[in-house]
Amino acid sequence: MTGLRIPGAAALGIALLLALPLAAVGDYFQHLLVLWLLFALMALSLNIIVGYLGELSFGHAAFFGLGAYASAMLTVHAGLPFWFGLLASAVVAGFFGLVIGYVSLRIKGPQFAILTLGFGAILHSVFINWIDFTNGPLGITKIPPPRIPLLGFEIRDGVPFYYLVLFFLLLSAYLCRALMRSRTGRAFIAVRENDVLATSLGIDVFRTKLLGFVVATMMVGVAGCLYAHYIKVITPGLFTLHYMAPMIIMVIVGGKGTVTGPIVGALVYVVLLEVLRASGSMRMLVFSVLLTLSVIFLPGGLVSLLPKWRGQGGREKAND
Amino acid sequence: MIISRTRRSLLAAAVLLGAATGATQVLAQAKPPVRIGAILPLSGAGTFEGQLGLEGMQAAANIINAKGGILGGRKIEIVSYDDKSSPDEGVSAARRAIEQDKVDALVANMFSPIALAMKEVTRGKILHMVLAPQHPKVTEEGHKWLFRLNETTVMRGGNFSKFICTNMNLKSVAILAINDDYGRAEAGNYGKWLAECGVAVKGTEFFQGTDTDFNIQLTKIRGMQADGIYVAASATSQGATIYRQIKQLGYRGTVIASGGNMNPKLIELSGASIEGVYSVSPYVEDVPNPIAAAWRVEYAKNYKNATSFVASLAAAGLEVTAAAMDKAGTSTDYDKIAEAIRGNTWNTVLGDTKFDNIGQGFIASYIVQVKDGKIVTTSKAN
Amino acid sequence: MFWDIFLQQVANGLVNGMGYVLIAVGLTLVFGVLRIVNFAHGEFYMLGAFVTFFAIKLLGVPYLAAVLLATIAVAGMGVLANQVLFKPLRREHEFTILMVSLGLSLLLANGGEIVFGADPKYIPSPFADEAVELGPVFLTWQRIIVLVAAAILIGLVYLFIRFTTMGKMMQATAQNRDGAALSGVNIDWVHTYTFALACGLAAVSGALLGPTAVIFPTIGEWAVLKAFIVVVMGGLGSMGGAVAGGLLLGIAEALGANYISIAFKDAIGYGIVVAVLLWRPAGLFVARK
Repeated sequence: MTGLRIPGAAALGIALLLALPLAAVGDYFQHLLVLWLLFALMALSLNIIVGYLGELSFGHAAFFGLGAYASAMLTVHAGLPFWFGLLASAVVAGFFGLVIGYVSLRIKGPQFAILTLGFGAILHSVFINWIDFTNGPLGITKIPPPRIPLLGFEIRDGVPFYYLVLFFLLLSAYLCRALMRSRTGRAFIAVRENDVLATSLGIDVFRTKLLGFVVATMMVGVAGCLYAHYIKVITPGLFTLHYMAPMIIMVIVGGKGTVTGPIVGALVYVVLLEVLRASGSMRMLVFSVLLTLSVIFLPGGLVSLLPKWRGQGGREKAND
Repeated sequence: MIISRTRRSLLAAAVLLGAATGATQVLAQAKPPVRIGAILPLSGAGTFEGQLGLEGMQAAANIINAKGGILGGRKIEIVSYDDKSSPDEGVSAARRAIEQDKVDALVANMFSPIALAMKEVTRGKILHMVLAPQHPKVTEEGHKWLFRLNETTVMRGGNFSKFICTNMNLKSVAILAINDDYGRAEAGNYGKWLAECGVAVKGTEFFQGTDTDFNIQLTKIRGMQADGIYVAASATSQGATIYRQIKQLGYRGTVIASGGNMNPKLIELSGASIEGVYSVSPYVEDVPNPIAAAWRVEYAKNYKNATSFVASLAAAGLEVTAAAMDKAGTSTDYDKIAEAIRGNTWNTVLGDTKFDNIGQGFIASYIVQVKDGKIVTTSKAN
Repeated sequence: MFWDIFLQQVANGLVNGMGYVLIAVGLTLVFGVLRIVNFAHGEFYMLGAFVTFFAIKLLGVPYLAAVLLATIAVAGMGVLANQVLFKPLRREHEFTILMVSLGLSLLLANGGEIVFGADPKYIPSPFADEAVELGPVFLTWQRIIVLVAAAILIGLVYLFIRFTTMGKMMQATAQNRDGAALSGVNIDWVHTYTFALACGLAAVSGALLGPTAVIFPTIGEWAVLKAFIVVVMGGLGSMGGAVAGGLLLGIAEALGANYISIAFKDAIGYGIVVAVLLWRPAGLFVARK
């Protein structure tokens, strides 16, 4: 495939994302934008496992939590700078992803789902009970905002934080796209569609899956770090299934196996979160209907509605 | 279209009359309401508690409005938000309330993690009356416009532990607590105080907020063979199940309930198993308090639930906020309102209520016991 | 003293385990015969509990009659769900069906919150509070009923599948759907029957386990999670596996919690699951293919 060629639509999208904060007046909308990008990053990472590898991981939230705690503990308890915490988040989440992936990825389907669920639940139990190490249910408070080393100013929230998350989101999106366009990406597709056939073609299925899994966990670890430094308080609740269902919905409704899909899915989620703020039960009801309808009538997710995509439907799927 | 002259005059008169009426309506409603943002768990783990809080708050607001409102005729309007029992949702709700809906103050929170996250958003922006959370850092790391109504465990516990020591004749006790900031504080503090007065703590076990069955934990506790079991369960559903299962497992010793959780729903769900259990509660219904009495009447008019501590906490939070605004003569000058809150003692459904310089609230509490399915006050705890 | 605690915990584990098995059997049946992983299975458990509650409260029916009523009603709801959702989507990819069942699950749970109210409720069963003393072990009649009823029901289901015509048709469909269809089995009928049976079993577990604690509309999440773990551990589609898995989980949880750590009870349970899956990925008993 060709090198760093950004198609017109993507360039337009990126430009829009860059310009968006200018239209967002006030703390509240800026906050929504930051939330959207954070969720988008989470969904994008899950999409690697669900969309590219074709597996369902129920433990994904645990890596989000690991990333959040790694950075929080290093910056709050050890007083280390933000960028160190960020690096640690990616490394810690990725390391656990490597270990858990290594033992789990030879297994597929519902068994893999329960396996990852089990690991996630064990991690949750550790974080909520090991009081001395993690402060247990009391969580970690007063997490410092990121600080730009050379310029010395803090990114508390609002527009600057938006751009910080956007940077990582675009980086991750690019990584996903590049990955899928590479030989590794084609291996992902092959493994997802028919792993027996893939093996016969010489693809090391296990290695391929492990790579994808580790990249996904590192990505969501970074998302966890950014979340921690934004909300500034974290508790072991991050490890639970509370965040899992929304992530799955975002990926499916947005469009799994695509780069824009999870981002669109996250947008829908955040918009609905706010529009239906009044009633929590009603909100989940709407989501569940959306999920069901989307899965039945729009298996490709919302992005498959865009005419341009539909036109390139077949080709895009192969490349993505 | 040609309209006759008479018709035109009549039409004109009608329009003028309509405009005049409309104008007087507008003039009469010229006083905009004072909008209070109530950010509570309306879904997720704390749904029931959030609902009770909202009901209590609304009943208190109704009474204030019936008396003419505050600040010269302005009515209290409660705008509710669901924090979904989650910190980031709470933060979103707070931002929306402050920024979009431009509420005048926030009276909010049932759980500590959300309060801790939310206070960072309200810092320097708006008055934030925190209701139930007992995590010390809420006030320790608070701000000049932040108040916390509920007592911390330490505050509530001193006298209750003394009561347990002197009145209950227990040589040993086992502690079963929920694994969250509340349960951990309870277990730590009561473990220490009871040991200090000579009651041996045979063991302390924690259960998770998601547990639905407690036979395993209670079997282990039963095995400790303590004279009493101290139960720190904040969720009504878990508390009820625990009290029932304690009896079902054949335990015959004394059962003590940690403070602030005794309410009619708990008694309804626990049945006979909670009979005779002691606890400590800031809200009691058999101690005369005209404000509380009126509030109960209003509550019963509108809601099916029985009045509870959680509801009374929300009501008191609203009452203090509204009264302070009235006294300070403003709904938006938070320095003045905060000063008023700190500088006065308030009459609320919880009795006399005051706040110290870091915003910590001080309310009465009473030793209570469940007798014949009712919560009966036995003595004052502080 | 040691034996007192030990025996009580074993009893706890057995009762809990049989409860898990009862919830899990329906799930594994639906998977075996229809190849559907039904996330909404927990909600049928929840509906079983709530229909029982309302039957007693609004219709004044005695507890056992309410249980029967709930079982039949919820079995009917299951048939409806199959007709409306799963049957039309039968040809779809299994991931789609999985997501649809997740959507159904969320719909029922949240709909339940809106309709029934989020406040906890207590099913007044006459058996729930009185305990029987079997030496050092205390068991309420309700928990004994759970144990016995689960054993009987599972036994009956096994006999049903093994020896009745419908049961054999279910086996045939599970082994090879197209082959069964070719030999004249009415697949639609088999699916309907299986769903009715599965949801009925879920409902009866809800109705029987409900009174041991309190109920609220989101208990389905807990139930389906437990059922899932048991089914996957035991082997998807295997009834024997579900029994083995359920009992193993129940007893491991009870003993592990008591002797290792109560706080880490959940982790111990999941640890067992992870260990089993890593050792035997297809589950303890692999269902006949």
